[in-house]
Amino acid sequence: MPRWGMVIDVKRCIACWGCSIACKEEHFLPPNVFWNRVLIGERGKFPSSSKLILPILCNHCSEAACVEACPTGATYVREDGIVAIDDEKCVGCRACLVSCPYQQRTYYDKEVKDREYFPGQGKTELELIGEKLYPFALGTVIKCNFCTERLEDGIKKGLEPGVDEDASPACVNICPVNARVFGDLDDPNSKINRLIMEHKGKQLRPEFGTEPAVYYID
Amino acid sequence: MSKNIHELEQIMFPPDGSGVKPYEWMINPTRQRQWIDKQGVFLWLAFFFSEIGAGLYFVSLFYQYKPGLVLGWLITLILGGLVHVAYLGNPFRAWRMIMKPNTSELSRGIWIIGAFAALGLLQMVTSGGFNIVFNVIMGILCLLVISHGFATMKVIRALPAWISNMVLPFSIISGVWIGQQALQLMFVFGGQAELVSGMEVWAEAFYFIYFLCLVLYVWGTWHANEIGAASIKMMLSDELKQITLIGVVGLAVVLPLVLTLIMWGGDTNGFMVFLRLASVFAGDLAVRYIVMKSAVYKPLLERS
Repeated sequence: MPRWGMVIDVKRCIACWGCSIACKEEHFLPPNVFWNRVLIGERGKFPSSSKLILPILCNHCSEAACVEACPTGATYVREDGIVAIDDEKCVGCRACLVSCPYQQRTYYDKEVKDREYFPGQGKTELELIGEKLYPFALGTVIKCNFCTERLEDGIKKGLEPGVDEDASPACVNICPVNARVFGDLDDPNSKINRLIMEHKGKQLRPEFGTEPAVYYID
Repeated sequence: MSKNIHELEQIMFPPDGSGVKPYEWMINPTRQRQWIDKQGVFLWLAFFFSEIGAGLYFVSLFYQYKPGLVLGWLITLILGGLVHVAYLGNPFRAWRMIMKPNTSELSRGIWIIGAFAALGLLQMVTSGGFNIVFNVIMGILCLLVISHGFATMKVIRALPAWISNMVLPFSIISGVWIGQQALQLMFVFGGQAELVSGMEVWAEAFYFIYFLCLVLYVWGTWHANEIGAASIKMMLSDELKQITLIGVVGLAVVLPLVLTLIMWGGDTNGFMVFLRLASVFAGDLAVRYIVMKSAVYKPLLERS
């Protein structure tokens, strides 16, 4: 069984927000809900300052704080390493949301559901279609799922995740500079493992001991 | 047009910070919102009511005072329990929370409150309920119920303000301190002047332990790391300054100190006992509010 992970090359990232938009499109996310973000920071003071760019998403940690915190088992780590949420079991206690040191989860309540992309003008046809095609359960927590549907459909068709677009996450496909690489962390010969070893890939906030499956290289 | 754009910006990025710009997310110490803002206030109240109800039950055990047990039990279960359920996104699935006592603190809390409810009821309805074994078991359960709220918060490693070692002792003493105050007032209403006066020595002791725990919590969190210090600074930010000064300093610390000093040595007065209870009640609510509201996450992208 593979263990899916991602490598993000922060030197390549140009902060185009393509990943954020592709993700929103893929999952029909409401306004102000992001499963992919690109953080912009600054180090130093002018004239010797530098811009810092950090694309972030759910880290699909193998020792996930959210899984430990969940009182119902709704959040769990799948065999393939993806941290998933069973919305049938979620009670909406938000312990997972508070526990996540990366703050990559969103509580989906009526207020979030009712948000419109054009406030006061009603929902667009696309938003209404999205609610039908990709429904979220009210009073539950939502987050990045590494585009599980694409992955599973692709694998069924005999495609290879991380190589074939139809079996890879939307954020990986859209990236114009190939800053994102998706693949199997358990395969020593995979591209993702080679990149992690060659560039000494780092995990985000390793001090929390969550063992993220998303690595950063530069 | 410019007015429309301004309105749109207000909707998309409200000044309360809930609609933070996506590229600025977690680049500064970011406050936790889920357990205190909007529906989250229910959780704050639920933890508080569970704590004071169990505190009252605990102190009543020492005086074998059944009305105190009944009131404490009701506050914990009716107010604490129902408000807890009101907080949940899917309350009808709450039964699922008993599923993972091995890992989740919330789940363990449900078991403890369940045991407190069942054994407490048994103790209240049986004639020999105040035997030593029952008292010890219920005493332990009370302490666990009192500390349940902060114990749930303490396991969240991502929030340095909540993982202080002082969180649990502080939680226990605040529950016992308010419980003692409530019982003292019940004795005032019952006309038991000797008991009211005799309890004052406990009020003095509990107040000073409470104050010491509060100071140690603030001091420890400030020195724990820069994010802990940021939480303490947030307590004095414009948004929380008034609650900190009036609620925490005024009502939880100064006013009870003044009243305790006036009644020092057992020179009690019904009105002042009532006033002190009202003050510590509001003060402890403020303390819990501030602790929950000022907890911040370490930024993912640090600016230097």
